[in-house]
Order: sequence, then structure tokens, then C-alpha cells
Amino acid sequence: MLAATVAVVVALIPLAYLAIRTVEAGWPAIRTELTNPRVADLAARSLALAAVVTAGCVALGVGTAFLVTRTDLPARRLFTILAALPLAVPTYIAAFTWVSTITGFEGFWASALVLTLCSYPYVFLPVAAALHRADPAQEEVSRSLGRGAWTTFTSVTLPQIRPAIAGGALLVALYVLSDFGAVAILRTDTFTRAVFIAFDLGFDRTGALVLSTVLVALTVLLLAGETLSRRRGARYARVGAGARRPHSPARLRALRWPAAAALTAVAALAFGVPAANLARRLAAGVSRPGSLPEIATAAGNSLTVSLGGAALTMLLALPIGLLAARAPGVLANGLERLSYLTHALPGIVIGLSLVFFGINVAYPLYQSVWLLTFAYAALFLPLAVAAVAGAAAQAPPVLEEAARSLGRRPAAVFATVTLPLTLPGIAAGAAMVFLTCMKELPATLLLRPTGMDTLATELWTHTSVAAYAGAAPYAALLVLLSAIPTWVLAARTGLLQQEGDQ
Amino acid sequence: MSALSISDAEKAWGDVRALAGVSLTVPTGSLVAVLGPSGCGKTTLLRCVAGLERLDAGRIAVDGRDVAGPRTHVPTHRRRIALVPQEGALFPHLSVADNVGYGLDRATRRSGRIAEVLALVGLDGYGDRMPHQLSGGQQQRVALARALAPRPSLILLDEPFSALDAGLRADLRRDVRAALRADGATAVLVTHDQGEALSLADEVAVMRDGRVVQMGTPTSVYRTPADPWVAAFVGEAVLLPGTAHQGRAQTPIGTAPILPTAADEAPTPVTVLIRPEQLDLTAAHRAAPGAVTATVLRRDFHGHDTLTVVRLADGTELAARSLDGAEHHGPGSEVALKIRDTVLAWPRQRG
Amino acid sequence: MPISPLKGALALAAATTLALGLTACGGDGESGGVAAGSAPNDKKITVYSGRSETLVKPLLEKFTQQTGIKVETRYANTAQMAAQLLEEGDKSPADVFLAQDAGALGAVNKKALFAALPAETLNKVPQTYRAQDGKWIGVSARARVLTYNPDLVSAAELPKSVFELTDPKWKGKIGVAPTNASFQAFVTAITVQHGEAKAREFLKGLKANEPQIRDGNVPIVEDVDAGKIAVGLVNHYYIGEIAKERGVTPESLKAKLHFFGNGDIGSLVNVAGVGVLNRAAQDADVRSFVDYLLGTEGQKYFAEQTFEYPVVAGVAGPAYVPALNELTAPPVNLNDLDGLQGTIALIKESGLTP
Repeated sequence: MLAATVAVVVALIPLAYLAIRTVEAGWPAIRTELTNPRVADLAARSLALAAVVTAGCVALGVGTAFLVTRTDLPARRLFTILAALPLAVPTYIAAFTWVSTITGFEGFWASALVLTLCSYPYVFLPVAAALHRADPAQEEVSRSLGRGAWTTFTSVTLPQIRPAIAGGALLVALYVLSDFGAVAILRTDTFTRAVFIAFDLGFDRTGALVLSTVLVALTVLLLAGETLSRRRGARYARVGAGARRPHSPARLRALRWPAAAALTAVAALAFGVPAANLARRLAAGVSRPGSLPEIATAAGNSLTVSLGGAALTMLLALPIGLLAARAPGVLANGLERLSYLTHALPGIVIGLSLVFFGINVAYPLYQSVWLLTFAYAALFLPLAVAAVAGAAAQAPPVLEEAARSLGRRPAAVFATVTLPLTLPGIAAGAAMVFLTCMKELPATLLLRPTGMDTLATELWTHTSVAAYAGAAPYAALLVLLSAIPTWVLAARTGLLQQEGDQ
Repeated sequence: MSALSISDAEKAWGDVRALAGVSLTVPTGSLVAVLGPSGCGKTTLLRCVAGLERLDAGRIAVDGRDVAGPRTHVPTHRRRIALVPQEGALFPHLSVADNVGYGLDRATRRSGRIAEVLALVGLDGYGDRMPHQLSGGQQQRVALARALAPRPSLILLDEPFSALDAGLRADLRRDVRAALRADGATAVLVTHDQGEALSLADEVAVMRDGRVVQMGTPTSVYRTPADPWVAAFVGEAVLLPGTAHQGRAQTPIGTAPILPTAADEAPTPVTVLIRPEQLDLTAAHRAAPGAVTATVLRRDFHGHDTLTVVRLADGTELAARSLDGAEHHGPGSEVALKIRDTVLAWPRQRG
Repeated sequence: MPISPLKGALALAAATTLALGLTACGGDGESGGVAAGSAPNDKKITVYSGRSETLVKPLLEKFTQQTGIKVETRYANTAQMAAQLLEEGDKSPADVFLAQDAGALGAVNKKALFAALPAETLNKVPQTYRAQDGKWIGVSARARVLTYNPDLVSAAELPKSVFELTDPKWKGKIGVAPTNASFQAFVTAITVQHGEAKAREFLKGLKANEPQIRDGNVPIVEDVDAGKIAVGLVNHYYIGEIAKERGVTPESLKAKLHFFGNGDIGSLVNVAGVGVLNRAAQDADVRSFVDYLLGTEGQKYFAEQTFEYPVVAGVAGPAYVPALNELTAPPVNLNDLDGLQGTIALIKESGLTP
């Protein structure tokens, strides 16, 4: 409980900063900012975008997950990997490649499309895993009672995977609220874009931070909504012992190849467009693409800080996740929810809050890799907490009790029982955080040690002066390196194993 | 010396007193069943003994050593108490042999103890299997072997057979008792199944509302239950109002000697316990005149015996058990009732 | 759940304990991030650059080669860098702030973070291009221009003044980057020269003409060059940058430049410049860095590599644009451009930005 509290405190540094700065700004300034009609406008648009993208991701994610887990779709393992792959594409790269592929591609629906294509794996991965784990017997019973495939799906399967859908949808919604890259390039005025613009417009910190506070309020709304839906969805578990049987796939018949074609099209839009565009840009322009050692250094730095960020984030997430899964209660749930609060904040706010924290509190850490990893932890804690909580379910408390009763000390029990069982889930969480750290830009720019470049900052450096060809190798490498952890994530669904494997 | 001794154990969850002063002694080498309906506190008792929960008050000693008391709480792993949870709780990532060897030190693991206990539970040669390759019953056997392996002071079995089907259950019960005996282990079995408790245990402790209401051999608990509730809980019981006078009980279906004999002079109102096997049925037309008669409602045939449910003229329903081969009475037929043997009676509150 | 400032402070304190605990385990403390920054005269300086790495880095490398002074550089955009400097205050590890426009320098200077520059440095640059209090100095100049595509607009139709762009005939044809610092400085300049009412009227007219909003100047020039937009309000040097990226001469691009001239505010000349942070007031290394930027080599670099105007006499500007002194730039004092808050309110009010 203490460890979990400490972890949440770290995640709350940005909120503390916001509170301090907002109070400093004083009521008149806050009122001026908030009474501006554009605030309501921005809030409405941000929420609408979050709603549309979340709905899109749920449809796409659940649909794809259903196809690869429950049907005789050809090349299911390939499609599983393809569906996870968009996670490797930062939204700013995706948006940029779309804009340069289609003239006039901008606005609300353009942003919605790009964000949906980039974020649907957040829903696909947990849902595919849940579908894979769900007990086929329940569905068979439903079918035997005369329910059709669709009714069975909605009345039996869906309730079982609802927690997975809700979790993924929440991450998508929070991500959309915090995204800056895509909406900036596609010119959609959302809250986060307004926050960035407030900084650009003559260093208007007060305005930016007041807006961010509103963003936190929106997040609270979202979290409340998700909590409600969670309360309605009880816990579902398989009853009884014995080995799990594989699902017998539904026959798609005439729809088999059209379904495959549809998934191919989604993959082509989500991953193919950026990849093709980057390849073309690599081949085109003549700007100095940076010497090989520079690229290697940037890649090395990216890997280092992202690994560090993932490690620290997981370390902080472990107590919260375990607590939320093991000792569900108002306090544990509250702590878990709190860790989500900062997730919708723009990276620049997190960055500035840690500048504030570093300068005033932890000066020896300022502009060190440590503070940067702290920022990553504050930004991405929810991803990790969700993973740990999910993983903890794989190691029910009764196993630990049995182990302790056999005379092993708690530490030994953790090492020999809890850890081996939860490790795959924790690894998947780490992969997700690592991937997200690789793509993070605004906080990295503010907090990196002076003189250190990562792939993301190099990419920013080059695109900001129109040196697109020079940016392309960094972008390509970023996507390529990020694709590796997506493999871990795809494998986590359990769908990559040979059928019949134990 | 007793392997386990519990005195005045108390534990509350908010307003609910799960343990309201439990005292219990388990002699070394015996198998004691804690029997009670769900919610009686038996699982809390087990978790307190295992050290998974802390007592509010009272003491628990294992092998004469205090493990829980006012100022003592020995952690689970230092109590030498092995747990067999409801569904086995095998470690899914470890093989059968590794599961069984989990509580052993390295030397013991190589000493052949694993194979020995696997043989005890009838799973010779299963060491390399993974838990998910086993049936439910096999998983339970492994869970028992795992608990036996480190030769703990005490093994706690938490409704270990409840998830299994009836056929498997009977076999497994027998084998579990045999394995426990063969290894000289002391065990506490928590269950709500009276058949299980009576057939397996050396002694049965009946729990109700956080208290042990009776403790004794299966026979004594069955034959001389402490009160009508225990009587009904440990077996099928016919409870009738009656009057006790000079060693005999007067009931609506006749009189019978009371055990133990009470030296009461004045007639006392009592509740009389008659087990179904104490009721003899004969066809009404062949009965002695003046015998109480009833109508047969239904017959439940169990092969080795038959349970016949009858209704008295005043509407009271009774069950009588007769062994196979005894006279058959079809539904609707008139029978005469007769009480065999001595009966048990408890004074009844007036009003 | 919103948290109170008090709780926030408590949380912060708890986090501090944790953080300090972590560092304490780390050992000697001196080896941590910033402490390794630059002491005066240790042949090492820390530069916060609001200008892009691709543009600045080669110049800094040359400086290090010549002087042996190592340069540690942070890069971010000018506004975010200014925000970071303001957040860091006096504890900033930075020695020098290299900014893209006078307004950002002014904003940091307002918080008294800059030290006065020596007179001999200040005297190298015309008064127009430096701070009145001598705390920042321009190192290169850029002019506002109207870029146009001759296929869509003939040279004869081009406006004489930037204010003509509010004429309905330009409806849907103008590219604007209202979030770009250069555009904002330009609006501030209108306020300074013509008053707030005029600025408000101009922005209103511009918005009424349904301009093509872009994120920055590069997309505007690219779209004008590609014939997607007729004209755009940008800085003069983007043509050079884009031509360089494509490996062609600036003259061969479709997009051309139109200077309003005649002192029209549309041809505002702004500067990119530097300020020295208080901590480095006595640092000779920092002084030689500033002097290097204002020396012949530095000035030539700006002219040839970033296509800007030198601010020191005797160095020629880029070839594809008229010389700085031929522009007849408007007489706006750059020191007045730090009053951005009013400008921002104006731009927000006009509806050009969210």
C-alpha cells in the first residue's frame, strides 16, 4: 500500500504543478481563460474526437480480434501481427505521411481516421487475448440452447470481454485527448493543440496551464464513465478445473476472402501508407541524412531512455497494479484511477512540471536521464498499471497461500510463483511502455540531457526545417525498432502459438 | 501431544463474528473434520490456523508451540502447516514433480520423497506432466502429494472434493485417507458435506455461528447429537414433539425408551429424535390393532436401501429407511409405524 | 478528483523524499545531470537554442574548432525554450539563449534573466537590431514577405500594402500561419505602428477572407510552390531552405517573393538573436561565442546557409533577395515586440487560432 502510494505520488507531480501554477495565476486570469467561449468549443470538439476515435477503435479492434480468434480466416497469425503493428507508428508520422499522400487531407474526420488507425491496437490486443482465453464451453452451451452466433456473441461472449474492451477504450480516449502530433498536422483544434498553441503564442504559460487543468477535469469525467461501466460488468472467470479446449472456428464461407481483404486494407492504411511514404522520401530528397554514427547514437539513446523509462514505469506500476488486482477496495481502486489522471495531459505540460520539479526539488537530477524517465513514468503509468493488474489475475492469491503454507518465505514465493506467472503480462506492459517512450516527443525535448538526441528529437529537428529526406531514416528506424516490441505484444495474445501446442 | 490446539479463537469481519470463541484439539496422527453449513466460520478458522488471517483473540498452538496469540503471529511459511485448497491450486507453470517438490529443500528433493508421495496418492510416473494435462481428480491428488511431501505438522484440506463428481469423490476420499494414514500425517478437513465428514474423519467438530457445538467420533455425533440442529445437520432426522416420563418417550407414533434414561418423575415435554432407520413399516392390514398408521407418499430407491416418505393423519411427514429386500410399500398404500430401539430426547421449552 | 494545492504540495514533498532517496543511493551528487554544467572560463558553454539543430549545429562546430570551446546545446522551438527558461529561472543551467525572434528574447528579458552585454559587442550591430537596455542582440535579420505563385497571380496584381489582402478578391487565396512566432511579431508590429484598432481590423478582414491556415511557414511556401495556394505571408528565407532541401537554386522554384517596400508593415524586418543569462555574465567563453556569431564567419554563415540577412556591416546577404538596406523596412522598434499578450488576445479574438 505504501509503495503504491509513492508510485501514485510520482504520477501526481504534474497535477501538483498544475495546481500550484493555476492558483498562482489567480482567479481573474482563470476566469478570463475559462469564460472564453472557445473553451467550451474546444472541450466539445476534443470529446467528440475522443468519442469518434474510441468508437472506431472498438469496432475495428473487436472486429479484428473476433476474426483472428474465432473464424477460419486465412493467415490468422499474420493478421494478428499486422493488427498490432500500427502501434509502432507515431501519430505525427502517420498524419504527416497521409497529408503528403492526399491533398487537402485535414480536419476533424482526417484526424479521427489517422488516430483510429494508429490506436486500434490498444483495443485489439487485450480483446484478442481475452477472446482467446474465454471458455468455449459457455458459447457452446448458448448455441445448444438455440441462440444464433450473433446472439451468442452479444449475450455470452461480449460480457466476458467487456473489461478488456473498456480498458482498451479508456486508453484510446485518454490518448486522443493528449495527442498533439496528429491534430497539429491535420489542423484539428483540440484542447491539447490549444495548450501547445498557448505556449507558442507568446509564451502564455498561464493560459496553457489553465487549459490543461480543464483537460484534467475532462479526464475525470471519462474515468468516472469508465468506472460506472466497470461496476456494471462483474468479474468473469472460468469455473471448474481441467484443461482449456481450443475454440472451434466459425466458418466464414463466402465471407472468408472478403474478410481477409478488409483486414489487409486496414493494415495497408494503418501501416502501409506511412511505410510507403517514408520509403519514397528516403529515395527522394538530398538533404544530409545525418552520418551513420549520428543515427546510431540517436537510436542508442532512444533505446536507452525508453528501456529506462519502461523499467521505472513498471517498477512504479507493480505495487499499484498488484494492489488493484489483489485487494480491490475503494482505496486501491482510487489509487489506480489517480494514476490515469495525468495520462491525458499533453507531453509539454508533463515536461514543464518536471522542469519545475527538477529545478525546485530534485536539482541534482535536472536534465539527467533520471528525470526524463520520471516523466515517462508519469505519462505512461496507466499503460503499465493495466498490464500489471491483468497479469496479476494470472496468479490468483490462492496459489501464493498454498506456496507459503509449504514453508517458503514471501520473497521466495514471489520469485518462484507470482513472478513466473505474471512475468509475461508484465513484459507485455513493459513492451507497450517502451514503445510509447520511443515515440514520445514534447517531454523528451524539454527534459533530455543537454546535447542528447533521440530518434524522435532528430526527426523533429529535421522536419522542422523541411529536411524530410533527412528525417526519413530516423522515422524509418523509429518505426522499425518500435515494431519489435509489438511482436511481444502480439505474442501475448496467445494467438501466435501453433495450434495444438501446449 | 496434540498437533493442533485452538482455544477461544475469535475473529470478526466488521459486525459479523466469524469465530465466536472456538476451541478445538487435534491429536497427532488423526484426521479431524470441521463440519458446518456455509457461513459458519469454518473457512475463517482454517485461514487463521494457516496464518492467512490474524486472530482477534484466543490462541492457536501447533505441536505445542504457540503460532497465534495475543502477541504472537507466526507467518504462514513458518507454521509447518500445508494447505490443500479447494481446486488444488497447482502452480500452472511447474511440472507435477516440481509442484510436489516445491516445499522441499534441495537434498530432500533428490531423496526420492517426490516419487514416494506421488506413489502414495496413486500417481506413479506422472512427475513430468504439466497440471493442465491432468483431470480434476488427479490435480487434487497432486495437491495432496504436494502438501504431504515436506511432512508438515498439519495438513489443512479446504473442501478438497467439492469440485469433483460423485464417483471420483468416493474413490478420492478413500485414497486421501489411505495416503494420510500411510504417511502418518495429521490433517484437518473443512467441509459442509456430512457424508464426507462422517466417513473420513476420526473425529468430527460441528460448527455453527462461529462456535464448535459438538466434537466427537462420527458415531457419537450421529447417534448422540448435542441438539436437534446437529441431529438434523449430520444426518436425516425425524424430529417429533413428545413427552418424557419414567424413561420412556410418548410420541404421536408410539412410545420408545429414551437414551440416556432420565430419572424424571413428572412428565416433561421433549423433542424426540428418530433416525429413519429406526422406523419400521408394515402393511396396515397386518399391523397390530391400535398401531399408528400413515399413507405412503413416495419411495426413493437407493439400491442398498430405500427411503419411504409417509404422511400421518395430522399431516406430519416422516421418512423411514429400510434395507433392500424388506417389504415394499407403493405410494398411496396404508402402513403402520413402529419405533425400533431407544430414541434421543431433549427437553422442549414450553410455549 | 481535483486536488488542493496543499495536498499537491504534500504530494510533492513526498515525491521529493523519494527522489532524494534515489539520488542519495546514486552517490556523490556532483556527478548528477546539471551540476556538470559550465563554470566560467572552463572552455565549455551551454546554449539553449530555439533555432533548429540542422541550421545551427554546423556553425557551433566551426566555433568549437576555432576556439576550442565546447558547446553543449539544447534544441527546442523558440517558444517552448522560452517557457523552459522562464520555468527554470535563475537556476537554469543555460549560459546563452539563441532565439528565433526578438519577442522571445524580450519575454525572457522581462523576467530579468539576462545580463548586460559589453558595449563593444553591442556597437557591432545597428541600434534597430538590439535591446535598448543592451541585454540581447540580434545576430541575423529576416524580412516578412508575400510569397506568390506567378501561375495563379501575376506580378501586376500583387498588393502594394499588406492591408490590401483583406480585399475580397483574395478570398481563399492567402496562406497564413497564425501560430508562428514571426506572424505574431508582425501583428504586434502593426499594433505598434498603426494602433490596436488597425490590427484588429486587419485580422478580422483576413479571417473574413477564409485564409488557408498552416502550421508553419514551410507548408505555406511548399503549397504556394505547388500551386495549391496563390499567396502566403512568410519570411524571406524559406525559399532558400526549400530549394536547398531539393537540391535546386532558389530562383528555379515556382514560388516567388514579393517585398511590399515603402515602409509598409508587411515588410517588417525582425531578428534572430542571443541573450546571455545572468550566471554567465563574467564568462569569457560566452563572450567569445557572441562575438563569433557577430564576426565575419558567423555572419557569412547566416547569409549563405540559412539565407538570412547579416546584421553586421560588410557581409553580403543572400543573392536571391534584394539587400537589406534596399527594403525600406518599416520603422518599428524591435524592443516593443515583447508585448505579445495583447497580440495573442487579438489573434485569438479574430478566430484565426483556436
